[in-house]
Amino acid sequence: MKILVADDSRAMRQIVIRTLRQAGYDDHDIVEAEDGADALSKVSSEQPDLVLSDWNMPNMTGFECLQAMRSAGSVVPFGFVTSEGSPEMREKAASAGAMFLIAKPFTEDTFREHLDGMLA
Amino acid sequence: MSTTDTGERRRSSDARPVITDLIDEATVQSIGEEAWVALVGEEEPLVPLLGKLPDDVLSSWVDVVGPWIGSVVLTTGRQTAAELTRALLGDSAPELLDHEDVADAFGEIANVVGGNVKAALPGPSALGLPEVGDAPVVRNPADVCRVEVLWRGQALAISVQGALPPLPVPSHPHHEKEVSL
Repeated sequence: MKILVADDSRAMRQIVIRTLRQAGYDDHDIVEAEDGADALSKVSSEQPDLVLSDWNMPNMTGFECLQAMRSAGSVVPFGFVTSEGSPEMREKAASAGAMFLIAKPFTEDTFREHLDGMLA
Repeated sequence: MSTTDTGERRRSSDARPVITDLIDEATVQSIGEEAWVALVGEEEPLVPLLGKLPDDVLSSWVDVVGPWIGSVVLTTGRQTAAELTRALLGDSAPELLDHEDVADAFGEIANVVGGNVKAALPGPSALGLPEVGDAPVVRNPADVCRVEVLWRGQALAISVQGALPPLPVPSHPHHEKEVSL
């Protein structure tokens, strides 16, 4: 499977990728995107099987990226990995079509909890 | 019977909350500790001891705009910020770190701490993107919740600080003496 990791922080992309490996998902291809616009473009060009995206990013937020994907008819599974895990954000994410929201800081257990059904 | 509107009720309902009404030091410290364990690792946690910040410091922060308006600011020595960056990047850290690497990693820690502080505050609030540099000025010392800790023996401060100056102290016209000029 191919996983698109979108975050404007290179350090956080590294941490997400490291945590995926620590959670046991080390045989998947990883593609990185540095903001929502880059992620949207790579959803078309790279055809990922899953998008893990930050929420707050310059140029285009993760939320706007998800809305643009769904408006364009893309049904690629999408999950947020964000520092904002309030009930309002979770509700907003779910109503826009996100499968889950992992709040930062996260652990490998949190990743397994949300991803096992899709990646294991 | 008539009553005089002194403005007391209006002023008290208009009063802005200060951060110490909304969050305490223990909560801020706990948010910081949890972020460190997840981002930096369990082996090098924050230690709740006071230290002295060096002269050459760097800050990273995110702004929170909602019923409370302010910033969540991390401040530590420039060298410690670089060490934190290496700890976050792990094997992918470049041999020579540049300012962009440090701004990215140190800013992201502020983002994670700030996002969790925001979640503990009354909403709805918006979180800004991380910034790195000289910390925003404290404009109201009463609107600050600050914890100081050590990481690798070096001082680090987490300051949740309001962006607005204090409200003017309400005047009481009927108590004031009029002065004729």
